[in-house]
Amino acid sequence: MSADREYLISPWIRVWHWTNALLILILGVTGISVHFADPALMLVEFSLAVRLHNIAGVTLVAAYLFFVVANIVSGNWWQFVPKPPGILQRLIAQGRWYSFGIFRGEPSPHLVTKEQHFNVLQALTYWNVMYLLMPTVIISGLVYLYPEFAPDKLFGFDGLLPIAMLHYLTAAAILLFMLSHIYLGTTGKTVGAMFRTMFTGWHEHE
Amino acid sequence: MKRLGRFLIASLVLSALAAPAAAQDKPAALISPEQLARIRAGNDECFACHSPAGITHPTKPDLDLKRLRGLLRDADAFYGSDHQRLSCTKCHNEGYDEHPHAADAREMTSTCADCHDKTASAVGKQFDQSVHARNLADTFTCTTCHDPHLMRLAAKLADPHKIVAQDNRVCLGCHDSDETFAKFAPEKKTRPLIDEIHDWLPNARAHWQAVRCVECHTPAVATNEPISHQILDKNKAEKKCVSCHSADSSLKTRLYRHLVSEEHQRLGFANSVILANSYVVGATRHVLIDTLLMIAFGAMLVGLLAHGIGRIVARLRQRKNNER
Repeated sequence: MSADREYLISPWIRVWHWTNALLILILGVTGISVHFADPALMLVEFSLAVRLHNIAGVTLVAAYLFFVVANIVSGNWWQFVPKPPGILQRLIAQGRWYSFGIFRGEPSPHLVTKEQHFNVLQALTYWNVMYLLMPTVIISGLVYLYPEFAPDKLFGFDGLLPIAMLHYLTAAAILLFMLSHIYLGTTGKTVGAMFRTMFTGWHEHE
Repeated sequence: MKRLGRFLIASLVLSALAAPAAAQDKPAALISPEQLARIRAGNDECFACHSPAGITHPTKPDLDLKRLRGLLRDADAFYGSDHQRLSCTKCHNEGYDEHPHAADAREMTSTCADCHDKTASAVGKQFDQSVHARNLADTFTCTTCHDPHLMRLAAKLADPHKIVAQDNRVCLGCHDSDETFAKFAPEKKTRPLIDEIHDWLPNARAHWQAVRCVECHTPAVATNEPISHQILDKNKAEKKCVSCHSADSSLKTRLYRHLVSEEHQRLGFANSVILANSYVVGATRHVLIDTLLMIAFGAMLVGLLAHGIGRIVARLRQRKNNER
């Protein structure tokens, strides 16, 4: 493997990734517009925001189902599983690199290979985001879309309250992840290298 | 004169939509249990014919059952209404004592304004500006909307779901029924399809379960004033979602006006008095959680920015060192 670059990311992953990114952006902006609705704030107009949010939400359900099925069929799900031995040590090493090593110009402790695209921190984070936060936000969103499936009343409040709060908090966690994900995308060989990888499929080795 | 009478009837019954302030113009005298029993015994004579039982078991052989069928009342519903302590003959007075009733008995029936005079005059001015007065001045009366045998004041119903069910049944009774709409509408006027004209409103049917038509189809009024009877058409009705879906929700001065004193920000939720019935996105927020999340996002952005600046500075230093 002498080449500086290696083909890693299948077309379906790249198409799904950018579709998902666009949907999360639309859902984030419209979700914020609806939750923080205020006549004095410059947000997306409420009824438009609701419609866009519903359309993007349903599309996200389809995109997510595709992601899960394609992951199983292609075996790509294995990438999300941190492999022993030394998971904890590699986790610490990766954390240290993001906190200190990166400022000293040290190379990342994780070597990207065909078998292991993600470092341990990425694998753990992505696993939690894709298999914990995403299903939660999607299922709570679907109940929100069809509130007849929500309990009628709960502890003296409308039964939709816990669903809505779960949806809101999970969505906030996903958006927080998105911010860090976009930023950490600049930590490749060059600032734009990882973004290019997600478009072309070719990874540039450090 | 006849038109004025109709209007006064209309304005009176419309007042039932209004808030507590517009309740009884003439305070009802206290009635003893004995008096009430006497009133109800008298009413039972009326209900003996004017009820479903009156059709199945006619009390007299010469009754025009076909006509009677259109004049039936539900005694249980009446005794749950605001007029529950009144005898039928309070309004259906002269000419109704005997059967067959006098030929002009119907014309002698009391108008709403006979009791609710102050309300009728205040409501009348609002009604004059309403879409109903503009298009249906000849046919529209208080009782077109407010059945005096059924209606309850919002404050007395208290439960927002019951208020919504009662009041929307009135509006949708005509506006969601070709048959009833045709009875009132001017000739050639076809009924606009209710779902179509509300297609701009997300989850329209869910809204009609949770709020009244008049939340949007009446102009804003102060909390201490009754909800206006100036029913607005679709061009003038409220279309800004944020008037309800915001922290300062107008639902507090509309559907929830009689409950607003019970607002205690339960468990830290703004507009928790609404939250007891409906989660209204934008209005029923948790102030502390919102603030904490905004801090989290701010911290994340500052952290990432600081990290990025740190990398740039480190890179520049390295480059300088390499040049040396």
